[in-house]
Amino acid sequence: MGQTPDWVKQLKPSGPQGHELLAAERSKSTLPVAKLSELIHTKEVLERRARILEILKSEQVFDKSQNYFKGRIERFEAALARAKKLRSLRVKHGWNLQEYRTASDLISEPGPYGLHDSMFLVTIGEQGTPEQRDFFLKRAENYEIIGCYAQTELGHGSNVRGLETTATWSPQDKGFIIHSPHLTASKWWIGSLGKTANHAIVMAQLIIAGKSYGPHPFVVQIRDLKTHEALDNVHVGDIGPKFGYNTMDNGFLLFNNVKVPYISMLARFSHVDPSSNQYVRRGSPSLVYGTLTWVRSTIVMQAGSVLARGVTIATRYSAIRRQFQDRDAPESEKGENPVLNYTMVQIRLLPLLAATFALHFTGTRMMQMYQQNQEKMSIGDANKDSKRGPGPEETSIGSDILADLHATSCGLKSLSSTIAAEGLEVCRRACGGHGYSSFSGIGPWYADYLPTTTWEGDNYMLTQQVARYLLKSARSVLSSQPPTNDTTRILHNYHSRADIGCAFDILSSDSDIVDAFAWRISFLTFEASKHRDEQKKPWNDLLVDFYRLSKAHSQYMVVKNFHEALQSHDTISQVDSETLEVLKKLYRLYALHTLEQEGSEFYASGAVTVKQISLARTNAVMKLLKDIRPHAVRLVDSWAFDDWVLDSSLGREDGKVYEDMFYRASELNPLNQITVNPYPESAVLFKKDEREERRSKL
Amino acid sequence: MTDFTDSLKPRHDGTATLQAERGRSSVDVDELARHLLSRDGFLQRQKKVLAVLSRVKLFKKDQQMNLSRPDRYHLALARAKALQRIVRKHGWDHDDYKMCEYLVDEMSPFHLHMTMFVTTVREQGSEAQKRHWMPKILDYDIIGCYAQTELGHGSNVRGLETTATWDPAQKEFEIHSPYLTASKWWNGAMGRTATHAIVVAQLLLPRSDNDKAYDNYGPQTFIVQIRDKKTHQPLHGIVVGDIGPKYGYAGMDNGYMLFDHFRVPKSAMLSRYAEVSDATGAFTRLGHPAVVYGSLTFVRGQIIMHARLVLARAVTVVVRYSAIRRQFRDRDSTSEQDDEMKVLDYPTVQIRILPLLATTFALHYTGEMMYSLYHKSRETIEKGDFGPLAELHSASSGLKSLCTMLAADGIETCRRAMGGHGFGGGSGLVGINADYLSKPTVEGDNWMITQQVAAYLIKKMTEAVKDPSAPASDPTASLFQFYLANRDHRIPQSPVQGSATDDQAIVDVFQWRAADLSYRAYHARVVEKKPWTRLMIQLHNLSRAYSEQILVTNFCNSFSSSSSTLSAPTPAVLRTCFRLYALTTLDASASSFTLTNAVAPHAVPVLQDAILDLMAELRPHAVKLVDAWSIPDWLLDSALGRSDGRVYEDLFDRAHRRNPLNGVTFNVDWRSEEIVLGSGDGGRGILAKL
Ligand SMILES: Cc1cc2nc3c(=O)[nH]c(=O)nc-3n(C[C@H](O)[C@H](O)[C@H](O)COP(=O)(O)OP(=O)(O)OC[C@H]3O[C@@H](n4cnc5c(N)ncnc54)[C@H](O)[C@@H]3O)c2cc1C
Ligand SMILES: Cc1cc2nc3c(=O)[nH]c(=O)nc-3n(C[C@H](O)[C@H](O)[C@H](O)COP(=O)(O)OP(=O)(O)OC[C@H]3O[C@@H](n4cnc5c(N)ncnc54)[C@H](O)[C@@H]3O)c2cc1C
Repeated sequence: MGQTPDWVKQLKPSGPQGHELLAAERSKSTLPVAKLSELIHTKEVLERRARILEILKSEQVFDKSQNYFKGRIERFEAALARAKKLRSLRVKHGWNLQEYRTASDLISEPGPYGLHDSMFLVTIGEQGTPEQRDFFLKRAENYEIIGCYAQTELGHGSNVRGLETTATWSPQDKGFIIHSPHLTASKWWIGSLGKTANHAIVMAQLIIAGKSYGPHPFVVQIRDLKTHEALDNVHVGDIGPKFGYNTMDNGFLLFNNVKVPYISMLARFSHVDPSSNQYVRRGSPSLVYGTLTWVRSTIVMQAGSVLARGVTIATRYSAIRRQFQDRDAPESEKGENPVLNYTMVQIRLLPLLAATFALHFTGTRMMQMYQQNQEKMSIGDANKDSKRGPGPEETSIGSDILADLHATSCGLKSLSSTIAAEGLEVCRRACGGHGYSSFSGIGPWYADYLPTTTWEGDNYMLTQQVARYLLKSARSVLSSQPPTNDTTRILHNYHSRADIGCAFDILSSDSDIVDAFAWRISFLTFEASKHRDEQKKPWNDLLVDFYRLSKAHSQYMVVKNFHEALQSHDTISQVDSETLEVLKKLYRLYALHTLEQEGSEFYASGAVTVKQISLARTNAVMKLLKDIRPHAVRLVDSWAFDDWVLDSSLGREDGKVYEDMFYRASELNPLNQITVNPYPESAVLFKKDEREERRSKL
Repeated sequence: MTDFTDSLKPRHDGTATLQAERGRSSVDVDELARHLLSRDGFLQRQKKVLAVLSRVKLFKKDQQMNLSRPDRYHLALARAKALQRIVRKHGWDHDDYKMCEYLVDEMSPFHLHMTMFVTTVREQGSEAQKRHWMPKILDYDIIGCYAQTELGHGSNVRGLETTATWDPAQKEFEIHSPYLTASKWWNGAMGRTATHAIVVAQLLLPRSDNDKAYDNYGPQTFIVQIRDKKTHQPLHGIVVGDIGPKYGYAGMDNGYMLFDHFRVPKSAMLSRYAEVSDATGAFTRLGHPAVVYGSLTFVRGQIIMHARLVLARAVTVVVRYSAIRRQFRDRDSTSEQDDEMKVLDYPTVQIRILPLLATTFALHYTGEMMYSLYHKSRETIEKGDFGPLAELHSASSGLKSLCTMLAADGIETCRRAMGGHGFGGGSGLVGINADYLSKPTVEGDNWMITQQVAAYLIKKMTEAVKDPSAPASDPTASLFQFYLANRDHRIPQSPVQGSATDDQAIVDVFQWRAADLSYRAYHARVVEKKPWTRLMIQLHNLSRAYSEQILVTNFCNSFSSSSSTLSAPTPAVLRTCFRLYALTTLDASASSFTLTNAVAPHAVPVLQDAILDLMAELRPHAVKLVDAWSIPDWLLDSALGRSDGRVYEDLFDRAHRRNPLNGVTFNVDWRSEEIVLGSGDGGRGILAKL
C-alpha cells in the first residue's frame, strides 16, 4: 500500500471531537480526581509508577505497537527479550522487589521469568532448610538457576493428592528417583517451564520402602546450564498455544527414572532420615498455607484494578460514541446521544464501576487482615495446635486463626475473579463492534486474565472450603458456644432472632443493607447445616447449595467491607464530603444491584419483601444510575491508568478514539502491505508483499 | 522422533470410559440424529463433504493457533480459493458449499461474497442490474463485500456519513467521505480481497427550486468497483485496507474505506425499490421491500439454527471430557480403593453443563418452527403479504438477541468448566469462542435490538387494551386478551409440586410473565408517558422474557408432534431436557416470575431440588445426547472432546509432536542479548520486528 494520501490525512471525525466530549464530561463533575487516585493507590505508589513508566517507555523493546499482530513464536521471543531487559533494568536501577513488580504490572504481559521470580524463589525460601537456601537461593537470585513450579499434571490439577509423579527413596544412594509412570503423570501447564527454566520444583509422591507419604517438593535440574538442552531422561517442552497467556511458555515435563541427590527434597517441614531411612516430620507447615492465603488475597486485591481497566475503556468510549437521537428529545436538542446516556448501557457499566471500588476496598481489607495475622503467627500462638492436618481444608474452627482468613480468602478469590473476568467481557460487548477489535485493548487483557478463575483453586471448587467453614461455624453456634468472630456473631444474631424475624430498611439505611446481606447468609448457612447435619445428605448432592452459600458469604463480605471503608477515618480524612457522597452512591449501587440480582434468596430468607426488591429494581437502582452518570468519567480517571498501559484506541485519555483506530489500522497493520490475487482460478495468493521493504525502511 | 514417552499410557483408558458411558443409556443415537438433522439432507451432506475436505492438507487445522495475523489471512485466502475449485470439481451446490464453510470452521474472505453481497444484488437490484451482475458474481469474476457500517456508525444506519450526491449534468453519483468517521469500517472481505462493494450511502439530490441545495433521501445501496481488475490496487480516489487484528475472525480481512469525490454511473444505485429519474433528478419509491424483511427473518432463523450447533459443539466437548476427567475421591467415600470421581458427577459441574445441553434442544425446536413458517409463507411474502410471518418477524430480533447470547455465554461456561485444560489450545473451544463472540454484536447489537420487540409488544398490548374482544390475529394477541381477562383474579402457579412437574403450568407461567411485563411496559410508556431511555432496561427484560416464552412454548409443542415418533426412552429424555431448560431459566430469574404473579413465591425454593433431580435423570444419557448432534471430530478439533476419548494421548501429541515452539532453543540468560540460542544476532532480530 502506498503512502496515505493528503485528503485522508486531513479528515477529522465528524461532530464534536473526542477530546471535546471528554472535556465536557469532566466538566460535569467536580470530583477531585487526583485526591481520589491517592485514596485508591496512595501517593507513594503513584509516584513510583510514574517514575518507572518513564524508564520503560524509553526502551524500544517494550514498544507495544506490533503485539496484536504477531504469531505465537514471535510473541514468546519478544516476551523473553523483555524479561531480560527488565532484569537488566532492575540491576541497573537497583530496583527492589516492589519496584520490579510495578514494572511488570505496567508491562502487563506474562513473561518467561514470571514463575522464577515468584513461586520458585518463594517455595525454596519457605520450604527449604537454611542449607538448601544457601545452596539454591543465591544462584537463583543471580539467575544462574532459573526455575519454575511444577505441581499440576496432565491428569491432576485440583486434586494435588492424586499426583502421579513419584520420588522414590533410594537407600543405597541416599537420594531419590523421580519417575513418571503414566502419560497422565506428565507435568502440565507449568509456567516458565516450556523453554526457559533449567530447574523445577517438582511436586511428587514421596515413596519410602513401598509406602507413599503424599506429595512433597523437590528441586530438580532439568536442562543443561550451558547448552540449555534437556538432561538425559528428562523430557520437557512447551504445551502449545492457548486462549491467552501466549507470551508464557507453559510447559510439560516427564521423567524416566531420574536420580536426584539428597539435597533436592525441600526439607524444612519433613525429611527422610538418611541413617534410618525413616520419614520424619518437623514443625507445622501452616506458614505455607499462609502463603496460599496471601496469593489469594492478592488476587482479590488486584481484581478491582483488573476490572477497572475494562471499565475505564468502556466508559470513556461510550461517552464519545454517539448513536441515535433520543426518541423523546425535543427538536432543539438534535444531534446524537452518547451511548453512555442510554440506561441500557449504564446498567451494564455503572454497577461494574461500583464493583471496582467495592473490590478495591475489600482487597485492601484482606491484605490488612493477612498482615495482622502474619504478625500474630510469627509471635507463635497460632502454631501451637498440633492437631492441624496437612491441608488448609482440615482446619477446625476456633483452633486456628487462619481458618477465618483462609475461608474468606477462598470465597473472595472465587467471587472477585469471577466478577472481574465476566465484567471485562461485559465491558467489551458494551463497546459494540469496536469492542471486538484487538485495539479495544479489552479482549487481549481478558484472555490473559481468564486463567485466574482456574488457578489458585478453581472458582467452583474453592466454594466447598467456604461451605465447610460456615458449616463448622453453624455447629459451634448451635452448640451454644459464644461468638468468636464476625461470622459466628452474625450467625448467632440470626439464630437468636430467627423466630422474631427482621425488618431491614434497605432503601434508606446503608447499614441495614449490610444487615440484610448478613441475614441472608445466615439463613442459607443454617439451611445447609440442616441438610448436611440433620438430614445427612451426601456431600456431593449439596455442592450447588454450597456454591450459592459461598457466593452469598463473599457478597456479604464485599458489602460489609465497602461500607466499613466508607465509615473509616482513613477514608473520611482523605476526601471531601461531596466525594464521599458519590462513593456512598457507588456503595448503594453495588449492594442494591447485587441484592436485586439475587432477589429470590433475599426474599426466601425473609431479609426483604417482594415489594422492596421491586422498588430497589425500578426506583433505587435507576435513581443511582442517574446520579452517578455525571461522575462516570472522572471516577474512571481516578483509577489513573496511563495510556501506555491501556494500549487501547477506545480508552484513550484524550478521547482520540477514531484517529487512533484509523492510525493503527492503516499505518501499523502489516496486512496492508500485501496485495492479493483474489480470484479462485489463480493459485497465486499474495501477488505483492511489501512487508520487508517497509520494515527495512524503519 | 522416538523417546521414552512413546510407551507411556494414561492412568485410565479414555476410550473404555466413553464406551461404558454409552453403554449406560439406551437412547438410539442414529434415530435422534436423524430427527434433529434431516432438514435439507444435512447428515448425508456432512458425510459427503467431510470425506473430501478431511483429506486435503490445506484444511488441516493444527497449526492455525500458532500463526500471526497476516499468516492467518494468507491461509484463509488459500482455503477460500481452494474450496471454490473443489466445489466446481465435484459439481456441488450452494448447500454443499455452506457445509464446506461450516466444516472448515473459519470466516472465509469469500464469505460476504456469497451472503450479503449476492443477496443484496438479488433482492435490491432491478431486473437489468441482476442480468448484468449475477453471472459475474456467480462466476467469481468479481468478488464482493457489504459496506454499510462506518467508523462512527453501526447500529444507527440513518446516521451514516458517506454521501452519494447526484450530479444532474453528468448523470452520475459522487461518493464521498466528508469525515474520518465516515470511513467504512468492519466490512468483511473488503480489507484485501474484494473487487466490488455494496456501499450504503446517504442519497443527496439537488432541490428542484435551488440546485445548490440538497435534500437527503436517506441511506441507499450502490454497487461500486473498488479495486482494479488487473493490479488489484484500489481505484483512484479510494483508500481501502484491513482494520487489523480482532478478538476472533483472524482469517477475515474486515476493512476500512474512504472515498474522495469518487464518481460512479447512475446504474450503480440498486434500483428495484427506488429510482432517481434521469430527466428531473426526482426520487421515486417503487413498492415496499417486504422481501427484505422476509429474508431478514429467514437469516435470523439461520442464526438460531447455527447457534444450536455451536452450542452443541461446546457441550459435546465438555460432556465427553468431564466424563473422562477424574478428580478427587468422593468425600463421603470410606475406601481408599475407590476410584476418583468423574467430574461430570459433581453437581457443580452438572449445573453448568446439563442445562446447556438442554438448551441446544430448546433452540432447535424454535429454529425449526421459524424455518417451516418461513417456507410455508414464502409465496405470500413475495407479494408483500407477511401472513403469519408478521409476528415472527417482530419477534425475531428478540430471539436473535437471546439465542446468540445463550450460545456465546454457553461456550465460555463450557470452557471454564474444564479447568486448566479448557484454557489450552487443545480444548477446541478457543477459536470457536473468539469467532462466535462477534455474533452478539453483528446483525443487530443484542442490547439495542431488543427495543424492536418491546415496541412491537407495546403496540400489541395497546390494541388489546383498546378492544379486548376483537378476533385475535395471532398467538400474541390471544395471549394478551387472555391476560387482560384474567389479570384481576390471577392465581400464581406452582409448576413443581412434590415430585410432580406440570408441563402445562410451566408454559403458562412463561406466557403469563411475558404478558404481564408487556402490560407494565405499555402502562409505563403509553399511560404514564415515561421517557423511552429510562424504560430501556425494563424493555430489554421484556424482550428476553417474551423470547424465553417462545422457546419454552415451542419446545413443549414438539412433544405433541414430532418427537413422539421417537423410540423409548428418547421422548422421556427430551422431556427431561425441556423441564431442565425451563426450570433453570425460571430459577435464574425467579423474582421476575414472582413479581409478575406468574409463580407463587413459595413455589421457588423447591425448584433447586427439582433441578438436581432432573440432572440426575439426564446424567446417564449425556454422552449419547451429545453424540446425537453428530459433530465430526474433524470439526471439533479438540483433544478434550474426541469421540474416542483419547484425551490425554492427543493433548500430549499436540504439545510434544506438533508444537513448533519446541523446535527452537532459547538463550535464557539475561546478561546476553541473544534470544534464540546460537543465532548470535544479539537481539536485533526481535527488535526489527517490533
Ligand atoms: C495459564 C495457566 C498457568 C498455570 N500455571 C501453573 C504453574 O505454573 N504451575 C502449576 O503447577 N500449575 C499451573 N497451572 C495449573 C492450574 O493450577 C490448574 O489448572 C488448576 O489447579 C485447576 O486444576 P485442573 O486444571 O486439574 O482442573 P480440574 O480439577 O480438572 O477441574 C475440572 C472441572 O472439575 C471441577 N471439579 C474438580 N474437582 C471437583 C470437586 N471435588 N468437586 C466439584 N467439582 C470439581 C472443577 O470445578 C472444574 O469445573 C496453570 C494453569 C493455567 C491455565
Ligand atoms: C466481526 C464483525 C464483522 C462485521 N462485518 C460487517 C460487514 O461485513 N459489513 C458491515 O457493514 N458491517 C459489519 N460489521 C459491523 C456491525 O454490523 C456493527 O458493529 C454492528 O451493527 C453494531 O454497531 P456498532 O458497532 O456501531 O455498535 P454501537 O451502536 O456503537 O454500540 C455501542 C453500544 O451502544 C449501545 N447502543 C447503541 N445504540 C443504542 C440505543 N439506541 N439504545 C440503547 N443502547 C444503544 C449498544 O448496545 C452498544 O452497547 C461487523 C462487525 C463485526 C464485529
